[in-house]
Amino acid sequence: MAPVSKRDKKEEEEGGNIFQNLDKTSVLQDARTFNDTPVNPRKCTPILTKILYLLNQGEQLGTTEATEAFFAMTKLFQSKNAVLRRMVYLGIKELSTLAEDVIIVTSSLTKDMTGKEDLYRAAAIRALCSITDATMLQTIERYMKQAIVDKNPSVASAALVSSLHMSKTAGDVVKRWVNEAQEAINSDNVMVQYHALGLLYHIRKTDRLAVNKLVAKLTRMNLKSPFAVCMLIRIACKQLEKDGGDYADSPLFDFVESCLRHKSETVTYEAAAALVNLRNTTARQVAPAVSVLQLFCSSSKPVLRFAAVRTLNKVATTHPPVVTSCNFDLENLITDSNRSIATLAITTLLKTGAESAVDRLMKQIASFVSEISDEFKIVVVQAIRALCLKFPRKHSTLMTFLSAMLRDEGGLEYKASIADTIITIIEDNPEAKEIGLAHLCEFIEDCEHVSLAVRILHLLGKEGPKTIQPSRYIRFIYNRVILEIAVIRAAAVSALAQFGALCPDLLPNILVLLARCQMDTDDEVRDRATYYYHLLKLQEKGLIFNYIVDPMQVCLVSLEKSLAQQVHDKVPTKFDLKSVPPAPVVSTTEDTAKETIPEGSISSAPNRIVPVQSTVSSYAEKLQGVPGLQSIPGTLFHVSEPIELTESETEYVVTCTKLTYPHHLVLQFECKNTLSDQLLENVRVQIEASEGYRIVKEIPIPKLPYNETHCAYVVLQFPEQLSLTVTNFGATLRFIVKDCDPSTGIPDADDGYDDDYMLEDVEISISDQIEKVSMDREAFDRAWEAASDEDFTESEDTFNLPGMSGLEQAVTKVVKFLALEPTGLTKVSERSSFTLCLPGMFRGGVEVLIRAKLAVANNGVSMQFTVRSAHSDIAELICAAVG
Amino acid sequence: MLSIINRILDWFRSLFWKEEMELTLVGLQCSGKTTFVNVIASGQFSQDMIPTVGFNMRKITKGNVTIKVWDIGGQPRFRSMWERYCRGVNAIVYMVDAADQDKLEASRNELHNLLDKPQLMGIPVLVLGNKRDLPNALDEKEIIDRMNLCAIQDREICCYSISCKSKDNIDITLQWLINHSKSGGAR
Repeated sequence: MAPVSKRDKKEEEEGGNIFQNLDKTSVLQDARTFNDTPVNPRKCTPILTKILYLLNQGEQLGTTEATEAFFAMTKLFQSKNAVLRRMVYLGIKELSTLAEDVIIVTSSLTKDMTGKEDLYRAAAIRALCSITDATMLQTIERYMKQAIVDKNPSVASAALVSSLHMSKTAGDVVKRWVNEAQEAINSDNVMVQYHALGLLYHIRKTDRLAVNKLVAKLTRMNLKSPFAVCMLIRIACKQLEKDGGDYADSPLFDFVESCLRHKSETVTYEAAAALVNLRNTTARQVAPAVSVLQLFCSSSKPVLRFAAVRTLNKVATTHPPVVTSCNFDLENLITDSNRSIATLAITTLLKTGAESAVDRLMKQIASFVSEISDEFKIVVVQAIRALCLKFPRKHSTLMTFLSAMLRDEGGLEYKASIADTIITIIEDNPEAKEIGLAHLCEFIEDCEHVSLAVRILHLLGKEGPKTIQPSRYIRFIYNRVILEIAVIRAAAVSALAQFGALCPDLLPNILVLLARCQMDTDDEVRDRATYYYHLLKLQEKGLIFNYIVDPMQVCLVSLEKSLAQQVHDKVPTKFDLKSVPPAPVVSTTEDTAKETIPEGSISSAPNRIVPVQSTVSSYAEKLQGVPGLQSIPGTLFHVSEPIELTESETEYVVTCTKLTYPHHLVLQFECKNTLSDQLLENVRVQIEASEGYRIVKEIPIPKLPYNETHCAYVVLQFPEQLSLTVTNFGATLRFIVKDCDPSTGIPDADDGYDDDYMLEDVEISISDQIEKVSMDREAFDRAWEAASDEDFTESEDTFNLPGMSGLEQAVTKVVKFLALEPTGLTKVSERSSFTLCLPGMFRGGVEVLIRAKLAVANNGVSMQFTVRSAHSDIAELICAAVG
Repeated sequence: MLSIINRILDWFRSLFWKEEMELTLVGLQCSGKTTFVNVIASGQFSQDMIPTVGFNMRKITKGNVTIKVWDIGGQPRFRSMWERYCRGVNAIVYMVDAADQDKLEASRNELHNLLDKPQLMGIPVLVLGNKRDLPNALDEKEIIDRMNLCAIQDREICCYSISCKSKDNIDITLQWLINHSKSGGAR
């Protein structure tokens, strides 16, 4: 691409990008010169470059524009200028998805790819594959097969890689080229061998046995190409993970290990990294890999040092003792001139090192933290977070360091990770709370990230009132009201209200501040201030508690839908807030699982922000789309975990999900047909409903072909008498079988025969009718007390839980049985008695409070179980169900 | 006999390729377009050809004369693109399979559709009835009649019956083209 490099030079001389001010219309206008005869390559090449530049800058071309440009470009095939021709190939590739009728160049490209000019051939193959769709592939199949085994390595590589791309759209055709790919794997060229292995693996990857055979064959073959060996290592590791179990005498594992002694550094590193990342390895199995990495640590090549230390950083979380042996080498890397290497070395040491080393290492980091990029700063922050949890006593050193980092320049992600870390420390270590809050207060004084400021204000509102001297935070919060934008002001007002609600001695001052906020220019801020001001002024404990400290938690999506429905239907009845399902509880275990991923990794930060979509609302949406299910009154209230009604690996796989509505129960049966020679029709699940239940509707699956999963539904009405709701249903899968040809899936005959298949019973338990509500311990206590004097009924019973080894086991069992979210569940195992608090919501929006006092008795655990609910039947039902 | 024809052909070739000219070759599939290009380029006839997917650009140089031929595929999906390659050429050569009478009507419709395009106004058209060596092939008069060529009044139009296989009438075809190349027109 001579003209481009020439341009680059010019660009440097002129000190500007000559393509900067390109205008799409004028460039396309220029493209008309392609139609002139004779073709002038000197004029046309820069125009093509401009078009490519525009496309790569994200400029959008309309279909007509693209088609015009494309056809004008095809006229350039008459020029024999090699540079121009190669630009045309690039142009074809770029425009192939935008323009219409691109297959017009098929013939010209096939001629180039089979022609004598080697310079054209590889590029022509790539361009050809980009314009060829699955239906046209047949016509070029012969040429592709030839090209794959071509003597010219660049042609073969181009054909192999293009085949890989084509297999996305035309997998079946590409599968037929397996013999050619086999032949290409024997090529002497390193790239061809690598690409051939890539294609072969891609063709076979769904067939585990075939992959095993391929790997077994190639491991014996001694591949020449280091790239191919790296690929083989990756494939082998995938297989190892899939097979699971012990790696002790697996030939694949031996192969990967043998690669540690390969003469290419790339391969040795790949093998070491692969071994280290394998799950379920023992320390002894990892040791040789670590010693290879250790060797790399003292290499003269920065790339090797970086790779090694980065991998060690990862291992430090899984196998800390193994990495300890490298500590000496890592120490040497702390002063490495490459800051990325130094950062990784220090953070690795922090993960593995002793408490005594912390101060020294922190000093080291501090010396150059301002020189490294945000990405690596986040690595440092994460290391500090792990450190704080490991050595709580060091919090003051670390906290000071974090606050210094907070004051530095940095992007949102970096600042957020610091704030996250401080918040985690505050939560984990009560001693650090005051200092942490003070640092955060200082930070929001000068914080340019709105989302972070709002988060911190919320945290201050929650935690501030519980400190020894809440008044000191008021100034920081009120400063925000004066100085910040509306969103932050609103958050600050809410935080102030928290102080007013929880600290009676501050209430008069807060009221004054809130009264001032009512003059705010922003609607939201004024609304909030007015709302809180009047609530606080009433000084009524119940109101303040319910609407400020622990406001209602409903699923916002469902609330919006219900309200829209209400407005749309124009029902004269009052809107019942209790018909809206409560907000989904994000369980803490899920949270921590997510946290572990970014640990030590550098690039995975963006995928941390996973929006947690409520399962209830997503199911509600799905059910709206099923004809016959829209008519169920009320909104979806609870979704159970899917339960398997069949053994795994049977002919038919059926899983049941129970969907609870206020008065109805929908059973969703997800059915999968695993028999390739059968087509099932009219598939339904027959339910033997127990006393009181009434089957309202059955929705069968019309057709269930092989390897497809569809849903059948049964709609039941709950019995009036609550005690009948907890029960078992017998279930049978009924369907019509039609035998069919496994390869095509077309049935042999028109009429099939009836058949059925016994399923396991569907169990309807109390937990299907209660949705969890998240509440902290104090909120629960208050609600519990409030329930005693309101018109709640109480049901109480004492149980013996025999065979329980300890409290922890008992607690888990009770929580699991009710499928509720326990409040204040910490350090259960250390005590001899424990009070478990479970708030919930019964279908129809009835609040339920459950308290279970557990104590270790001589043979098992005894439990005093108390339920308070506005509805006496519900309280009794729950009590009875536990027994 | 053949050698004499070849000699005459060569003589004609040397006579008119003195400059550059551009022509587009269209017509239904299997009418012999690519074959015709091969015959005038190298004199070689091949019985088994594969359908042209898209277009072939051929530059035929003899002495100091170049002729550019855009040979466009005749399958239905390419017919909408003929027009793009006919714009601004010296002549349009329309190939008809004179022995396949079933397709003649489709061929006539495609030709008239093409010539109705305003961008192609005034470009001379040469209709070639190929495969006259086959027993039931139509002659010039029948083609003119069946193709309704008399209806085309706004341009010069001509029709020959040729055979690429036996190299019949290739010479007069070339003669016509001479007269419509840039220099030929001026002469």
